[in-house]
Amino acid sequence: MRGIPRRPGAEQALRKAHRLAWLSIAYILSTIAMLFFVMSGSQALKTEMSGEILSLIPPTLFLVGDRVGRRPPNRRYPFGYERAVSAGYIGAATALLLVGMYLFFDGGMKLVAREHPTIGGFPLFGHVIWTGWLGIAVLLWSGVPAHFIGKAKRQLAEVLHDKTLAADAEINQADWQSAAAAIFGLVGVSLGLWWADAAAAVLISIEIMRSGWTELKTALGDVMDRRPLTIDQKEDDPVADRVDEFLRGQPWVQDVIVRVRERGREFTAEAHVVPMSEEVSVELLSKTGELACKLDPRLSDVTIAAVKQMPKDVARARHSEDA
Amino acid sequence: MLRPWPVLLFLPLAACGLPNDPDGTSKRIVSSHELRVGVTDNAPWANARAGKPHGVEPDLVRAFAATLGARVVWSYGSEAKLAEALKSHELDLAIGGFEAKTPWKSLAGVSQPFAKTPDKKKHVMLAPPGENGLILTLDKFLTEHLLAPKGASA
Repeated sequence: MRGIPRRPGAEQALRKAHRLAWLSIAYILSTIAMLFFVMSGSQALKTEMSGEILSLIPPTLFLVGDRVGRRPPNRRYPFGYERAVSAGYIGAATALLLVGMYLFFDGGMKLVAREHPTIGGFPLFGHVIWTGWLGIAVLLWSGVPAHFIGKAKRQLAEVLHDKTLAADAEINQADWQSAAAAIFGLVGVSLGLWWADAAAAVLISIEIMRSGWTELKTALGDVMDRRPLTIDQKEDDPVADRVDEFLRGQPWVQDVIVRVRERGREFTAEAHVVPMSEEVSVELLSKTGELACKLDPRLSDVTIAAVKQMPKDVARARHSEDA
Repeated sequence: MLRPWPVLLFLPLAACGLPNDPDGTSKRIVSSHELRVGVTDNAPWANARAGKPHGVEPDLVRAFAATLGARVVWSYGSEAKLAEALKSHELDLAIGGFEAKTPWKSLAGVSQPFAKTPDKKKHVMLAPPGENGLILTLDKFLTEHLLAPKGASA
């Protein structure tokens, strides 16, 4: 199947990821609806609701992006459509950052102005109970299942090598932290600590900004063709080194520079090769390319360019950033 | 890594008479036996033009004060003046035909409605902002003493 790694179970994982995305959307909508009713004067709940609304974006982008991203290339888009998802993510991450900042100042101002949050009673089945307790119940609903949804997404993200799914999973898994912060805020208010609510709101807004920043970095790195990172974005993916090593091991190869770029869930590699002798057969080049492609299930194609000497800019790809 | 479970431990708190008032209004009312209420004249909800305030809202307020073992100390002023007084905690309640969509929401706490007029307007009382214990007590009282829709013409 186009656009996913050649791994056993990848197609199945993709179907599962689709189901999870729909499940996430339904789940988040249920949380938003409930938060809307119990929000009352709580800044923490307002912030949490904004965060929930924003967290509708990643699963939506996943569904839209998967449809668009796997379209085959054509004259107008010769490399295919995979980058559409990255482009979408830049927008989504920017929104996350900006809304996070707004909520940070909104909550901060309430602290500075010493505004006391009013959270009164909520009529429910003929009784009036404190809206804060209902808020806590809704927050548990928003935090606990999200943790497990995130875990499931995370596994699929690894199989599919889907970074957007991985980022979404991370947000889901971190969701309980903001829910816990909001719960502390409401419990604080119930004890008469008016500032607990706005303080929790500020913490949640920091979490929103942080995830916006993480996603923005990932998406920007993507469109800038940064050297591929592992799915957790912590270290270099070994794929480039593996191709490099393989080509260097060929008896006809004198020097090689491999540049790998990520296109959605797949990699394409470009290898500039300086052969030992002046003569290299087309047969050899294409055969080597095919073999190199099999080194990693995520490699969708490896282009080998035979050159007399390394072009200057290509040679720079060897240097570290500051050199 | 922490797990989501610890938060569950907070639920039993619901049982212990919380929420508290950050400024202790409920406690003060109970110990001083005084409920400080501001009225703005708005018949038929609250008539404050002559003598003691009368009308549906003053009656409700007196009944509410009785449940707290307090007597009502009345003061009078415009809506704006009452809202400011609530904000600075100089009053415990304000009445005078306030509706749920009151523009004073940003200064004061809004109670649950105690009456709904035929044109779907919900009538409420205002309380000091953030005094959630008092507001919850008031909300419970008002919900138990809902006025029939005809109350508007009373």
